Amino acid sequence: MSPQPSKSTKDLALNGIWRDNPIFRQVLGICSALAVTNVVLNTAVMCTSLTLVTALSCLTVSLLRHWTPRNIRMMVQTLIIAFYVIIVDLMLRAYWPEMSRNLGPYVGLIITNCIIMGRCEAFAGSNPPGSSFVDGFFSGLGYSLILLAISVVREILGMGTVLGFAVPYFSSPYWDKWIIMVMPPGAFFTLACVIWLCRSIKSKEAKP
Amino acid sequence: MKDKPYFAVIYMFVVTAFFSTVLIGFSRLTRDRVNANEQLAFERAVLAVFPEIAVESNADIHRIFTDQFAKTPEMGGAYLYYKDREIAGYVIPVEGQGFWAPIKGVVGLALDKRTITGISFYEQSETPGLGARIVEEDFRGQFIGKTISQTDKPIAIKPSSEALRENQVHSITGATQTCIRLEKLINDGLSEWFQSVKPAEEQP
Amino acid sequence: MSGIGSEMWLALVTCFAAIFTQNILLTTFLGMCPFTSVSREVKTAAGLGGAVVFVMTFTTALNWLAYKYVLIPLELEFFRFILFIIIIAAFVQFVEMVIDRYSPKLYQSLGIFLPLITVNCAILGASLFMVIREYSFIQTIGYGFGAGVGWLLAILAMAGIRTRLNESRVPEGLRGPGITLIIAGLMALAFIGFTGVLN
Repeated sequence: MSPQPSKSTKDLALNGIWRDNPIFRQVLGICSALAVTNVVLNTAVMCTSLTLVTALSCLTVSLLRHWTPRNIRMMVQTLIIAFYVIIVDLMLRAYWPEMSRNLGPYVGLIITNCIIMGRCEAFAGSNPPGSSFVDGFFSGLGYSLILLAISVVREILGMGTVLGFAVPYFSSPYWDKWIIMVMPPGAFFTLACVIWLCRSIKSKEAKP
Repeated sequence: MKDKPYFAVIYMFVVTAFFSTVLIGFSRLTRDRVNANEQLAFERAVLAVFPEIAVESNADIHRIFTDQFAKTPEMGGAYLYYKDREIAGYVIPVEGQGFWAPIKGVVGLALDKRTITGISFYEQSETPGLGARIVEEDFRGQFIGKTISQTDKPIAIKPSSEALRENQVHSITGATQTCIRLEKLINDGLSEWFQSVKPAEEQP
Repeated sequence: MSGIGSEMWLALVTCFAAIFTQNILLTTFLGMCPFTSVSREVKTAAGLGGAVVFVMTFTTALNWLAYKYVLIPLELEFFRFILFIIIIAAFVQFVEMVIDRYSPKLYQSLGIFLPLITVNCAILGASLFMVIREYSFIQTIGYGFGAGVGWLLAILAMAGIRTRLNESRVPEGLRGPGITLIIAGLMALAFIGFTGVLN
């Protein structure tokens, strides 16, 4: 890959959050986090962990890029990602045991999230540490925003609450709670609708 | 230097060694805290089955637990609850497979060994928002004051449309599997405990 | 004797549960990335699915041994994330070499899918679940196999449905991943129906 001209932070942010948003552009990396999107709080914690891990891994990969031999770079990247994931996991277990129990194995599964590996490979491996960090951060953020949107929809429709607080109307007896939204199929349907929405807006943007 | 084949091996080794050292150091630092958390979670669960105990801080939990609870081998692994130096209740540990992973909890019984004073869980990984709601007050609160049946199942979890008898509580909608397994593990734990304390009672 | 019998029975139940009620793809969303991209043709889907069954069964068993006999005695439980990945990668590499050497024909049909598997979250996920659920060794084998078969079943069904989908009119924004997710949702709904079977 040829060295890209250094991009501005604004550019990187726009790319990560909208133009190249990992979820609806590439439909990547939903595996490890979709399962926890039925409760907003769990999603928020999961997304924060993921964004931090992505940003820090990109930073580290970028710092080591001049020394890492090409043929073993994937192994080194995996190692770096695993390192940060384990730190996040230990921190949660030590300082927020309830959350750690709620998220179960999903924190560990951040390791296999394709987004982190993808950003490390595509951007951090050939760019300076500063912009790699920013790029990783905004990719994680773009991903987080979509998952948070999904979790808000699921929690409101399924339980009538957001972050545990009752939402007017949805928590009243007039609203028949859509239990299915809290169950796995709800995640598929909501994500499909979000992708549909974003793609439709995008194609309108591209047309004029 | 960088192109030599052995460089990759040495590099990988150095990087692995470095990260592993940091991780091991970090886990040593947090280990005590993690263990303390687990102990605290258990003690909190035990205290939670007696609603009359007021807990204000984490330090409270440990103090009350060591002051007022004691495990005695004669009582089949149950913890005895002392109030003013008199036995005031029993805490029976229950555990078993939930829908996803083991559920571990405790059931509190009053002196008559029939009335439930409360129930709480210190380990579970049920589906958040569904099965995981067994830890919520709405669900657990139902057990308070229920009486264990001697003829029927000790405790039964019924769909929320049915009327309840004295040994029954309502299930969580959408978490049928969790409730079925929960009912089984509570009943297994209770029956086992009754079995183990029976001989002790028959002796004069 | 009855101990082993009940162990086997438990393993069988775990296996069925992993295929139907706790399908690793449809209830925990693991292995979604290859699921959406490789499910266009039944043949490739079957190849990848077969490879997943094979690798998952063996890696969960290997990881169980590594966890029980290496990590627990050393009190390095948190290291499992790294160790599991290394074992999975090494196993895949090893199988690739063996197949390439002894059965070029099998290599042609299965070989191309093997590298894809190392990054499949379902494989690592199965190993992590196995640890959290405190399975015994026999149960672990049942679970690994069942989870793999469950994944295979889901991707096969998806590929079958998607070939039919080519002729139908799907709204523009939904084409591709969107409609795949909706179908997956419907499949997940159907799989929930299995819940009552296993009591």
